[in-house]
Amino acid sequence: MAEVSKEIAAKWGLVVDQDRCTGCNACVVACSMENNVPFGGEDNVAFGRGTYWIYNKRLWEGEYPEVAPAFQPVMCQQCGSAPCEPVCPTFASVHSEEEQINLMVYNRCIGTRYCANNCPYHARQFNWQDPDIPEPMNSYLNPDVTVRRRGVMEKCTFCVQRIVAGRQTAADENRPMADGDVTPACVAACPSGALVFGNLSDPNSRVSQMAANERQYKLMDELGTKPKVTYLKGGGRNGG
Amino acid sequence: MYSKVVHMALFKEEQIDHAAEAITRLRSLGIPDRDISVISGIPYSERILDRPMSWTRVGLIGLAGAVAGFIIALLFAFGTPFLYPLRVADMPIFFPIPTSIVVVFEITMLGLLISTFIGVFVETISPSYGPKGYHPKVSDGNIAVLFSGPMDLNEKFHSTFAELGATLEHDVEEEKLWL
Amino acid sequence: MAAEAKIFGKVQTAEQEHEDPTEQLMFDPRPREEMNRMVMEMMTTTTKKFWLFFFGLGGGVVVLLFGAWGYMISTGMWVTGLHRPIYWGVFIVTFVFWIGISHAGTFVSAILRVFKSEFRRPFTRAAELMTTFGLAAGALYPLIHLGRVWVFYFMVPYPNARWLWPNFRSPLVWDLLAITTYLLSSTIYLFLPLVPDLAMARDRTTGIRHMAYKILALGWRGTEAEWFRLKKAIQIFAFAIIPVMFSVHTIVSWDFAVSQVAGWHSTIFGPYFIVGAILSGVAAVVTILFVLRSTLKHMDYFLRPEHFDALGKLLLVFSFAWGYFFFNDYLLGWYGGEAAVRQLLTAHASGPAAWIWYTMLICNIGIPWLTLWNRKIRRTPWLMFIITLLINVGMYAERFTIIPLTLGHQRTPFDWGVYTPRPIELAIVLGTFCLFAFLYLVMSRLIPLVPVWEVQEGQVAHTLRKVGKAEIPTVTDLE
Repeated sequence: MAEVSKEIAAKWGLVVDQDRCTGCNACVVACSMENNVPFGGEDNVAFGRGTYWIYNKRLWEGEYPEVAPAFQPVMCQQCGSAPCEPVCPTFASVHSEEEQINLMVYNRCIGTRYCANNCPYHARQFNWQDPDIPEPMNSYLNPDVTVRRRGVMEKCTFCVQRIVAGRQTAADENRPMADGDVTPACVAACPSGALVFGNLSDPNSRVSQMAANERQYKLMDELGTKPKVTYLKGGGRNGG
Repeated sequence: MYSKVVHMALFKEEQIDHAAEAITRLRSLGIPDRDISVISGIPYSERILDRPMSWTRVGLIGLAGAVAGFIIALLFAFGTPFLYPLRVADMPIFFPIPTSIVVVFEITMLGLLISTFIGVFVETISPSYGPKGYHPKVSDGNIAVLFSGPMDLNEKFHSTFAELGATLEHDVEEEKLWL
Repeated sequence: MAAEAKIFGKVQTAEQEHEDPTEQLMFDPRPREEMNRMVMEMMTTTTKKFWLFFFGLGGGVVVLLFGAWGYMISTGMWVTGLHRPIYWGVFIVTFVFWIGISHAGTFVSAILRVFKSEFRRPFTRAAELMTTFGLAAGALYPLIHLGRVWVFYFMVPYPNARWLWPNFRSPLVWDLLAITTYLLSSTIYLFLPLVPDLAMARDRTTGIRHMAYKILALGWRGTEAEWFRLKKAIQIFAFAIIPVMFSVHTIVSWDFAVSQVAGWHSTIFGPYFIVGAILSGVAAVVTILFVLRSTLKHMDYFLRPEHFDALGKLLLVFSFAWGYFFFNDYLLGWYGGEAAVRQLLTAHASGPAAWIWYTMLICNIGIPWLTLWNRKIRRTPWLMFIITLLINVGMYAERFTIIPLTLGHQRTPFDWGVYTPRPIELAIVLGTFCLFAFLYLVMSRLIPLVPVWEVQEGQVAHTLRKVGKAEIPTVTDLE
């Protein structure tokens, strides 16, 4: 029996400042290392089977010849009303009441890939084959994260293992969680400070302050998915 | 109780009028309806043969199955979320009515259709009343009137059926047609 | 005067307009004994060609279906052409195709039975058999396309240690329930009217066949009670299986329509899919009837141009209906003006795979509308064979457009993709076609493919009645 938690601990959220992103892809590398995301190799990536929990969309702005690249890192938006959840026949994609994020339970996944079709952000990845981790690469694997076998879906978890670790550390030290206790791998790796993570239910946290910025928008807000990721982009105005 | 022998009169497929007439005559000879049965290669309604209506409970059994399916469906749709509550999207955890209608419909229909078949199966293999007997010519479209009557009426049977153009067999043995 | 009306310069008399009623099966009765003999001969005749197809198709099932599928299970889904963002490809396309095919059996035998359309009589069983085997082939796909097929039972509602049940809000669980219901009920619906014919076969065979028919015929004698019960059960089934049939394809359409994918999220999808399913299903019935007619002994007595004619009219009606629903779906998407949908519609019509979209329109609308209005064409079986094959090509193209082509062109241009099926996928698809044909081939020699008692019942009910100077075909309701 599982209990539905009454108390909502924290509403985790992420802010992506596109005006600061340099497109260095450090977040992608850090994420892959943290979450044991398999390296598919050149051919698979070219074919569209590169597994990235966060990927950086390189878009072009302006008319030729006045074009400039714009970057948009996209990861699972941890929707409050996630399209991927109700369509799963086995409850492998569920809403976490405790973390207020979207969970992926690998053991329950049977690989219908329905969730992936229904994700408007294309944030969900499928394991087309078993991960190839030759010695001594297996020593790099993060023991806090499962290695997924072929046939299951996976996606960004907001580094849920770090959220849990942060909560446990705070509990050990007998204090409430403070802003900055939890830093997902991508946020930690971002050299330009374009990614900010924190508790959205705390109005004083850095992420809440930034999410209230005038430049803010949500990806495909019109679909009503209630994403937890806020993007900032000024388009030349508001200091952008 | 006098000893009863099962007789079988075979009519050709186009002689349905004669078969119906034969039943009337048998009745006038004192053979009750329950001692007569008609077997045929295509269905003839009781009105054509002037016979009492058959009965069957497949409709009722089917209905019972539908009710059972309906209850199981309700348990699936509204009971199982209590065993392991999980939230998906913004949907209600415990009473997701619109989606449950689909589940309830399918399982109710499954109950109805399967139990109708079980009804047919059980009724078919259960022992039936009335005279037994079979002739392969029935599946060639012939109409067989089976009846049991006292031996002393044998001659009358003969003359009746000869008049109607049927062949009469006596002492038809019950052939084992199933397991 | 009236008898010599001049139409397009051709003199047509009342005589020429009138068709000889004995061209119709119902007015060309033969003794039951002879029909039984014909059907038994049909069942027991095997030619060299039969065995060639038997081993060819059987080998196809083993190698293409089980071999390729086994290979895919052992190595993973990477052998398919699927990739982000196209997670569903020809497996789901063929799944929808087979489920669509399976609708015709019910349509022909249940709906036409309920409405007492007499032309259905000789081919109800052929159509029902198609339903059952179409479903058998289609029901494999939800398993084939799974990433982890070895744990498919996670979807089945059964009590387990954690008391975790499947998610009854997922259309895939509805699919499982609906297809199970439909497969079981259509199999029973095939079996029930078969019982008297199995009894007929029992009386005419010896040895193992006799034993098998004896068991399956459930001791059928043909008493009044048995007929009454059978008719009652068939009636319950005919009425109850129609809503089940509608629900099955509606649920298949909901797999797409409940999602937020641009181009899928459409309220018209339910009826649109049903009409498409019936169009492709009835077309497949005609295709199969042609094959049966040209390969089985004596089949040309039972299947006549009149049946192709009647089914051709149905096809024309459903082709109109399909065009209507397609236009509904298209127009509202176009008018709504949502950028993603507009782009999608443009991509379908002018993108790199536009030929698929045009194939769909030509085969589903162009060909039937241009040909099927003509009585001569409708009554020419081989022409109908070609037309109906093309309709099914069109319907396959429709599903291909709806599934991978739509998935590959969603809201974010960065994530657009093109999908090309790979050999393993095509082998599995071909394998299920072999499976269907193989099962049908085997079954055609195991059960009477023509419901003899229903044909005879119809022939008894049909008579020519003299009205004035003419003999008019009439039907008597024997019930």
